[in-house]
Amino acid sequence: MDSSTVQIILLIIHTLFFIYAFSVIVSYIILAIISGIESNQYMKKNSFVNYNEILSSTVSPSISIIAPAYNESLNIIENVRSLLSSHYVNYDVIIVNDGSKDNSLELLIEAYDLEKVNYLINEQIPTKPLRAGIFKSTNPAFEKLIVVDKENGGKADALNFGLNISNSQYCACIDVDCLLLEDSLQKMIKPFLEVTNVKVIASGGVIRIANACTIKEGKLLDVNLPNKWIEIAQILEYLRSFLLGRMAWSRLNGLLVISGAFGMFEKKTAIEVGGYDTNTVGEDMEIIVRMRRYMEEKNVKYKVAYIPDPLCWTEAPDNYKILISQRNRWTRGTIETLRKHRKIGFNPKYNLLGMLSFPYWFFYERLAPVIEVIGIIYFIILIALKNVKWEYAFAFFLLAYLFSVIFTIIAIFSEELTFHQYKKKGTGFKLIFVTLLEPFILHPVILYAAIKGNYDYYFNKKKKWGEMKRKGLSKKII
Amino acid sequence: MFNNQNILEYFNQLPTLLKIVWIGSVVLFILILFFLFYLYYLRTYLRSKELISKNLFTQYENDLITYLYLGENTSQINSEQQTIIDKMKVSIQNTFKRTILISVLSKLKSDISGEMALAINQLFIKTGLLNYALKKLESKKWNQIALGIKELTQFEITNVYNEISKFQNYPKQEVRNQVQLYYVSLFHFKGLEFLDNLKTPISEWNQIQLLEILQKFDDQEITDISPWLKSENDSVVLFALKLAKIYNQFQVIEILLQLLNHKNKEIRVSAIEILGYFQVKETKEIVKSNFLDRSSEEKITFFKILQDIVTADDEAFIIENTLNPNFQIRFLAFQLLKKNHIEKLHELKQNATEFDNSRIFNFLEVV
Repeated sequence: MDSSTVQIILLIIHTLFFIYAFSVIVSYIILAIISGIESNQYMKKNSFVNYNEILSSTVSPSISIIAPAYNESLNIIENVRSLLSSHYVNYDVIIVNDGSKDNSLELLIEAYDLEKVNYLINEQIPTKPLRAGIFKSTNPAFEKLIVVDKENGGKADALNFGLNISNSQYCACIDVDCLLLEDSLQKMIKPFLEVTNVKVIASGGVIRIANACTIKEGKLLDVNLPNKWIEIAQILEYLRSFLLGRMAWSRLNGLLVISGAFGMFEKKTAIEVGGYDTNTVGEDMEIIVRMRRYMEEKNVKYKVAYIPDPLCWTEAPDNYKILISQRNRWTRGTIETLRKHRKIGFNPKYNLLGMLSFPYWFFYERLAPVIEVIGIIYFIILIALKNVKWEYAFAFFLLAYLFSVIFTIIAIFSEELTFHQYKKKGTGFKLIFVTLLEPFILHPVILYAAIKGNYDYYFNKKKKWGEMKRKGLSKKII
Repeated sequence: MFNNQNILEYFNQLPTLLKIVWIGSVVLFILILFFLFYLYYLRTYLRSKELISKNLFTQYENDLITYLYLGENTSQINSEQQTIIDKMKVSIQNTFKRTILISVLSKLKSDISGEMALAINQLFIKTGLLNYALKKLESKKWNQIALGIKELTQFEITNVYNEISKFQNYPKQEVRNQVQLYYVSLFHFKGLEFLDNLKTPISEWNQIQLLEILQKFDDQEITDISPWLKSENDSVVLFALKLAKIYNQFQVIEILLQLLNHKNKEIRVSAIEILGYFQVKETKEIVKSNFLDRSSEEKITFFKILQDIVTADDEAFIIENTLNPNFQIRFLAFQLLKKNHIEKLHELKQNATEFDNSRIFNFLEVV
């Protein structure tokens, strides 16, 4: 290869990197604009809604909250109490104890006066069998509670069991350790009931980070900003993702993921598609893609709705080890889902799903960490070859850094102008301070986790969920 | 040493791409600085606004309570009450204060009833808030119109019916919802007349709200729902079906029977359910006549209502459906047999079928 050929190859590589980076930036700007429009519309639309009538109505549709639990004995009593404190009338809570090795079941039996009941299960989705059985409370105060004790089959299997035994029209699938606000159900059910021109198949809620928040008896009393940088950086990341990214995709009706921590489904469609996939660690994304694919193939107009109100609060990892494990799993889940449904990509038959949402996820979520690492390696090679044009490198690095900072600041603005949760004096300064640091303290860790996720997906097939130890929100009870 | 001259010279000799990147960086940097200052201002503003709003809320609440307890009857205003009204008239010239006063009035309105609620309605007029609400109806913004209608509903302004009716077919659903809530909240069952000519769908959300409002009234004399059950608008039919069930409209049974073959599945399912609730035996023959062609939802609903209207001549039909591929229908069929033809159930237990019914039999044995 002569030097001119090498030059041409290098030019092509540089151009490809440039086009990719440029398209990422442009797409982020477009998403930020769309999310701004959607947030404005949403706030207007909901400024005069009265939720009280829906709450008390006996004709309101039934909802089952399905919460899988595995070795949650530390907080299960408080968590269930939180789930039972919803203001909605027509709902029940199904706790699926997924083969826990601890004494979760015994604690639940004692705390909620449970007794074993006969329950005919319509096994529309195959699941692992029951272990101790199905329990209901003898105390009328807990009549909405159903506890299932089954053999361990993983989160997806436990959710499927919940779908099988639910008698409700809608199912809210949540993580048992999440804290739901009392008005969550009526807000989440609203899109299913108000949209008349298309069928709403699912609605997703925002997940907020509850670390350092004041919680008492399963209720969120005060929102605080945590002290650790890693936790604040995740708050910023969630704000970007939920208030900018998903809000925009919701406007486009292109949402591909509803967080597993809190999502609501029309049960009939969820069962028709076969429930959650037990062979993936990204079951929350996979079921949405499958439901959308199903609707597209049936040629039915549909929508995946999104509720930006801060309704569900959860504990985020407070150390790098657990954070890496979590992000590793998210990466593998994304790869598995995109690979399983690759038929959708660039397939005009699937309309917006095939031509926009799916390719976007593939290029800017799935491939982003890989391309970034290739870029870093390429840069290192250029350094080794003393072939770096430093003035270019520095200028582009600065531009990328400033863009990431401004994008996060816009997310903070979006939060302030809509839900304004972090009201206390000094929190704004902390958020900005971490915004400046985040590209150095969080992004490299996320990148490492994503690459590790890619490696594990291809070379460590046995790896499943990974570690996700929680301290428990109840520890912060005042 | 860097100075402006050097920077400018350095910049001028840069390739175009780098120039663009540097310009981009400088623009972003300036924007960041601007946003940081603005964010600081915004947070301070929001905090102080919240505090002011809290204080104003308490102040207005106290004024209103004083106003309400000063008046012995709603038709006469004494001087102290007039002072409060005058004070409020001045306050509401400010949009922010007006919004807070309306929220205080709304809160109190939802907490009290009778004479005092009427006094609040009058206060809404006397302070001039009514004019602001009417002005909102002239707005080009749909949310302002919806808000205006909501206020007029809350404070029971019945004499603007014609103005509100103009928005009955407004393109934005939220406005139409508020119009419907206005009709029903203020004119009760008579307010449902809008259903006669409704072209747009009523959302399930609004149907529930309308039903809840209707159930709050003392007068439960419902108007004739027959025309709505025959409406071309499916959502009107579905709403009328709910009314039929809640208000026990036995006189529409004939129309309900016709709806068993309506083109909309949801209507058919609701009709089956309500006819079952009314225990209308004729339902059986109509549904059974084309049972195989019906959707699984209709079949399941029918088997559920059959529990109440089953007769001896249904035995063959029930036995036939113990072989239905749908688990729920099979279960309901076996359950009916247990209740009415136990010997047949024992007999069927011995027969092997392509479906595993052991779970159903085990369950039926213990319940």
